[in-house]
Amino acid sequence: MSNTENIIIYDSVKGINLKGDFEGSIITRCKDENNSIIFSDNLKISDSEGIFISNGLRVGFELIYDKKIAFSRKIEAQWYEDFELIDYSILISEDIMQVYDEGQFSDAFPYTLNKLNTAALYLDDYEYGINHLEFFREEMLRNPVSLVGNGVIVADRVVIDERIDPVFYDCLIVGRDEEGDLLVSFEPYMNVKKSLSDLKYIIILGIEAISF
Amino acid sequence: MILFENRKELLLNIIKWGNNPFKKFVSTGEIKEGLDLVNSRIDLIQKIKELVESETNFILPIIGDVGSGKTHLFWALRNNLYYYNTIYISLEYVYKKLFSNIYSEFIENLEMEPLKFIVNQLCDKWGALERKFGFFHVADIEKVRKYAFEQLSDKYNEVGPETLMDVINGITIHQLDPYKKIEAERWLLGELMDEKELSTLNLAHDLRKGKNAYLMLRLLIENSKSGTILFIDDFGKIISIMSPQSKQVEEIFDPSWLYGTEETSNDIAADKIFNKIVQLQYVKGLRIIITLKSKESLVDIRKKYKEKNPELLSSIREPFYLLEFKEEDIYELYSNTMSKFYESIDKSDFTKEFQNPFYPLNKRILKYVFEKAEGNPRAIIKLLIKIFNEIIYSNESIDVILKDYENTSS
Repeated sequence: MSNTENIIIYDSVKGINLKGDFEGSIITRCKDENNSIIFSDNLKISDSEGIFISNGLRVGFELIYDKKIAFSRKIEAQWYEDFELIDYSILISEDIMQVYDEGQFSDAFPYTLNKLNTAALYLDDYEYGINHLEFFREEMLRNPVSLVGNGVIVADRVVIDERIDPVFYDCLIVGRDEEGDLLVSFEPYMNVKKSLSDLKYIIILGIEAISF
Repeated sequence: MILFENRKELLLNIIKWGNNPFKKFVSTGEIKEGLDLVNSRIDLIQKIKELVESETNFILPIIGDVGSGKTHLFWALRNNLYYYNTIYISLEYVYKKLFSNIYSEFIENLEMEPLKFIVNQLCDKWGALERKFGFFHVADIEKVRKYAFEQLSDKYNEVGPETLMDVINGITIHQLDPYKKIEAERWLLGELMDEKELSTLNLAHDLRKGKNAYLMLRLLIENSKSGTILFIDDFGKIISIMSPQSKQVEEIFDPSWLYGTEETSNDIAADKIFNKIVQLQYVKGLRIIITLKSKESLVDIRKKYKEKNPELLSSIREPFYLLEFKEEDIYELYSNTMSKFYESIDKSDFTKEFQNPFYPLNKRILKYVFEKAEGNPRAIIKLLIKIFNEIIYSNESIDVILKDYENTSS
């Protein structure tokens, strides 16, 4: 199915629940304590069985002993029978994805750092906070996933500017507006000022996590 | 304060400073021609346009005498069919490294962004843009190459696996390997590369290698959204190098000493070019326009196709003829050239300034030029250059100079 518009498959706030099988680029935001996000190319939804995702990638943080560690874990096949665990699932339009694809092959920044394993770049947490932004100042990292306030940012690359703020390039942004409606947009670049925004975390996806 | 300006005198002064409105009498594929075709030739452009738009693969011969404006026709075509990639090659100058030269011309005409787009689309076809988990492009270059090779090896089996791998590697590196992208881009642009640079890219040859250039041309033309026109000037060169030389010419070196009596070096060279042109005819979407000096050349070319590639004979269309100028054409040519000249000296108002629209010449002189040149455009321009040079360099007044010509004509 090649969709020309974004389709909100499930929205816990607005009570949207579309039954059926969906294929394409789907972002599912979970309602767990770590705000994890699932990326998948398929999603099945039914009243009786809940939400089914196969071959997806779940990204988030987990507490191991006294440390919070970023993870990206492949989901072979999983049912989410309890809808309470899901905030929303949205299928991104093919038009937006094509623009996003073009950004992925941009040759403006050939020397971008690829991380082998998934790791946290930043986590805003009173107890377990992580901040490696200073270390990567004026560097460019590929495949960042970030949560800023209500919005999820999936970008091709992130640059840490001289003020130690992240600048996302070629990014998809999914979030809610003031009325709680879900919106999707593509931005060629987006400057996120830590002091002015509610930056919750930045995770850099490792090549190993998304290659195999 | 200027109360009155003698415009005629001003124009003559400007010309006398050495500004000849008619500068060149030979068009080339390199220097852009801004002047459009004269009205009597508009029909010809229309007919070519119709053919180009209705058919995708053909050879169209244009027959015209020396100096009849065959190369100028290329520029007119390029201006009219600006949405096509129109490439110029003259066999008079280029018959070695033909594919490589055509590739360079093609790239120069296509420019960088469309080239990147085509290459990106090719990689997409080969599965490089597959999105892992619906979002992430982490292309497995080896997998993409393997798939591309499987896809292309049947279709392009005549070029051999080494060429195919070179081209696939060059394209995939450019799109998928950011660390070698800059070098791969140089390769794509057809730049000369040394062994060390090639080995970094894991390539055997650059695009000076004929087979590589041919395959790249084929891939780019067949996957380009805009059609391509290849304008081969002086196509009769193939025939002229094949035709036997006069027995009376004394040869210091007899090529038969090296090549045997059955085939001369010229025959071999002509055959090579011919085979390359035949190869180009297999490129889908490539419209070929050739220029010839006479109808006999076309007969010879058809004969050669009949002997060697009869299946392609039908792709040769009926020729279009570039006829000599009609009398009205010289007036149009003169007026258009003078208008361009006035624009270049920032005096566009001069076009309507003079009572005699052909000032500083006149209609009688232009008629004389037309008759003397027998309607041949190049001869006409040569004569006009001569007259203007006389105006520039002679100490006589313009009336005296022109009177001489008027007397000659009567």
